[in-house]
Amino acid sequence: MSFNKHLKIVVLLLLFSVVIVSCVKGIDLDQTEEIALTPDLQVSLLTFDVTGIDFKDEDSGIFTPIIRDTVRLEFLDDSYIQDDLVTVEFSFKYTNSFPHPFRNKISFLSENDRTQHVVSFDIAPGDKNSPVVTDWVELIENANIDVIKKSIKMVVEIEALPNQSPFEGELKFESKGLFSFEF
Amino acid sequence: MRFLLTSLILILGTITYCNAQNKQLLYNVKGLPQSLLNNPGTNVNFDGHVGIPLFSKFHVSAGSSGVNLFDIFDDSKPDVNRKVSSTIRRLTRNDYFKVHQQLEILSFGWRLNNGQYLSAGVYQEADMFAYFPKDPVLLVNEGNNAYLNVPFDFSDVSFTGEILTVYHIGINKKINKKLTLGVRGKLYSGIFNVSSTENTGLFTTRDDPENPNFYRHFAENINIRVNTSGYASLNNTGRTVQESTRDLLKRSFFGGNIGAGLDIGATYNLAENFRITGSVLDIGIMYQQHDVENYLYYGSYETDGIEPLFPDVAPSDNTIPYWDLFEDEVDRNLKDETVNEKYKTWRPVKFNAAVEFGFEEMFEVCDYRKTYKRRNYNLIGVHLFGVKRPRSMNYALTTYYDRKFTNNFRAKISYTVDDFSYYNVGLLLSTKIKKFNFYLAADNLIGYFNLAKSQSASIQFGMQFIFKK
Repeated sequence: MSFNKHLKIVVLLLLFSVVIVSCVKGIDLDQTEEIALTPDLQVSLLTFDVTGIDFKDEDSGIFTPIIRDTVRLEFLDDSYIQDDLVTVEFSFKYTNSFPHPFRNKISFLSENDRTQHVVSFDIAPGDKNSPVVTDWVELIENANIDVIKKSIKMVVEIEALPNQSPFEGELKFESKGLFSFEF
Repeated sequence: MRFLLTSLILILGTITYCNAQNKQLLYNVKGLPQSLLNNPGTNVNFDGHVGIPLFSKFHVSAGSSGVNLFDIFDDSKPDVNRKVSSTIRRLTRNDYFKVHQQLEILSFGWRLNNGQYLSAGVYQEADMFAYFPKDPVLLVNEGNNAYLNVPFDFSDVSFTGEILTVYHIGINKKINKKLTLGVRGKLYSGIFNVSSTENTGLFTTRDDPENPNFYRHFAENINIRVNTSGYASLNNTGRTVQESTRDLLKRSFFGGNIGAGLDIGATYNLAENFRITGSVLDIGIMYQQHDVENYLYYGSYETDGIEPLFPDVAPSDNTIPYWDLFEDEVDRNLKDETVNEKYKTWRPVKFNAAVEFGFEEMFEVCDYRKTYKRRNYNLIGVHLFGVKRPRSMNYALTTYYDRKFTNNFRAKISYTVDDFSYYNVGLLLSTKIKKFNFYLAADNLIGYFNLAKSQSASIQFGMQFIFKK
């Protein structure tokens, strides 16, 4: 057999072997089981700005110390919340220029209006020229996350605690949620 | 979602197994008819060929410019999610993934009485290309919390994909001793196409103190469009497999979308053993008119959240449906539509250019009845390949050594530098038993020793009858 024939066979075998005996080393494909997306999403929730007029009955004009409003948060019912939400950190901020304190109550209700979670705190009195900020952070951890998964409504209730000062000013509300997921 | 991410990673990882489109090992191999598909103006040193139907050329190649399986599944580093996150952060919007496949169905050619070489055939081709959608992936994987005031850019989404059958006929003419020219006409019969390349849009979460809430979310100039053809009917769940198969076969025979294209090429001999070659392939357009579905998402919107009005009932004593009002406003400003609009796509045009030098001249048995062309046992060359992709040209530079050991056996070894690797060594072997030719070529051979660390690979083989007078 000529040198070239030997060479041909050797090289062909070599190429076939490289292609066929190719291998995958040093990896662990079982790790695919552990792959998870873990986004932390900052979402603005509710915002409002109330003044003295909002505490008067629209028809009678009589002072009403408690006002409330309900907002449905339909996204809480979506599958990505129900299946993959791990924790939520709510942040609430009031900026008060009323010279009066307020009592705040934020409730999370289920579809049939059963209270799932309540956040209550007092809002410090402020001044027209130097509004006072009251911050509140509410962390709902994984062990307790069902209270959010079962909720669909957020009710904000503000109770004015009047004193001798004139009931004039502005109360600004900001809220957000830091939703942490594991998909 | 996890399933989707895992599948994506495995698919992208698998892609890295198998450098696409660039067929440097078959370029300038004058003894193989397939070199005519890479340069219709190549020097043809045979007088006829007939490919074994479905077996004359099979090519599959894939590449990933920025990641391989080892980056994600390295077994010495157990925290896979940290590896996924660091890989996502490391990759750029210009990193890309591609898969290319060709199967020659028919291939034949013969030398005409006037000395020109006519070649024709049919092949099926699939080509998928996607840039890494960096910002959307970052948003999905990490969220916006760590990226306040940083826009997520949806123009990062850019991908194309097509499956088609190509019917071609080409002519190769030796103009004089120095110059050979060739041209190939192509008719494309589209089976499937997807294209989403001109997307725009920014999503930003800003914490400007002037905002009424902690954050204001901005969706600005969103304009995302995914064009498809040949997808909607397959997506029709009411069809049987037989109906779908019949439809796919029909599309292969001009039953769907059609197009036309052109390949041109030339070889110029600067000296007997020194030549330059070049070609431009797939200067072509496809008209996507049948079974077309386009998915659009467009508009601009910004929000601080929902603003309750106090009290919680409207004058009609009904609760104010804040959420419904919010959703309606979003839907009015960010529109989601599915339409059926015809569109056209350009084929990914490619070019090749090479300089080749031969040495060690071959001596053949003297026969005064024949005219011999000087040939060399050894050829060395430099080959530049480029392909047009949605954002830019992608290039590969190859040097090669092509050795003809006997009249029936040649081997070509190549070294290529491209976006995937700086140490891509490829090998082509071509052998003939009488008129029967078999060839096998593989790229990035070093990568085969551990495919997990390889970012590209390609393999092509075929068999055919080649005739010489």
